[in-house]
Amino acid sequence: MSEVIVITSGKGGVGKTTTVANIGTGLAMMGKKVVVVDTDIGLRNLDVVLGLENRIVYNLVDVVNGSCRLRQALIKDKRHPDLYLLPSAQTKDKTAVSPEQMIKLTESLREEFDFVLLDCPAGIEQGFKNAIAGADKALVVTTPEVSAIRDADRIIGLLEANDIRDIHLIINRLRPDMIARGDMMSVDDVIEILAVNLIGTILDDEQIVVATNQGEPLSGKNSQAEQEYRNICKRLLGEEIPFTDIHQKRGVLKRLSGMFRK
Amino acid sequence: MKSFLREKRRSAGYARDRMKLLLVSERIECSPQMIKMLKNDLVHTVKKYVTIEEDEVRIQISQEPPILTAYIPVLKKKDR
Repeated sequence: MSEVIVITSGKGGVGKTTTVANIGTGLAMMGKKVVVVDTDIGLRNLDVVLGLENRIVYNLVDVVNGSCRLRQALIKDKRHPDLYLLPSAQTKDKTAVSPEQMIKLTESLREEFDFVLLDCPAGIEQGFKNAIAGADKALVVTTPEVSAIRDADRIIGLLEANDIRDIHLIINRLRPDMIARGDMMSVDDVIEILAVNLIGTILDDEQIVVATNQGEPLSGKNSQAEQEYRNICKRLLGEEIPFTDIHQKRGVLKRLSGMFRK
Repeated sequence: MKSFLREKRRSAGYARDRMKLLLVSERIECSPQMIKMLKNDLVHTVKKYVTIEEDEVRIQISQEPPILTAYIPVLKKKDR
């Protein structure tokens, strides 16, 4: 029973690609056969985040056009034997592929893999329509900022209009210190505003930048972000993992200084 | 007193309230400006029949399902 999951957000720069890379790696480390697909034609990025940019020969557009076989375009991640990347094309644009072709592609990937993770481009145009065409489920990534939340709401509306009802929210770049002093919307605030199921809360973590620089996902760094990505993977596999209260992560000293600031 | 309290309020609360209003209005395709106009029209209409506390009038639209609620305090004869 394989699943096709689109990771989307509307707004750019909220962490879609990082989320795909980390969840893909996490699921592969749990023994699932995973393919991560970069659907951002013309602006590919998943390859550099995963550190596989030097191994691309064929891409998604080549597969769809029949210029190569699917197997030829899939790049196997040597660090994780069950993880594969289907890179996007850098020279074409989003109109090079149609939603019907994407459905066909996801159907053939479904036969080979347990999880097909689609990294959706920002925006709500053709690229978005392509990315969601073959998906069973959507993970919407947002940050606790007004611009990202507004776009997430729009995306949720569009997903529902396209009959994708299995929608889960990931709130990224949370800063417990800012939430505690009332300068950042909390997890509860965001859920109340968007009225959607929560599947993960990721703290703002500089290890993400370090990992991306090195072209490898967070595996093994044991940061809070990595632990939470692992929790998201387990939740995707059906495990009941309680959400960690991000406020508890603050030290006693910080909490005291926070009290005095009020 | 009121402005003093408002100053103490942190930015997250503003963000939350702005987003709630905006997203509801976007879902029902009625802009915050139109909701303001609706409120003015309501006040105008109700005023023709009863005396109300205009400054206290609140218009709210809940999220799911969207329901429009108007809070309009009416003044009794002796309060005027």
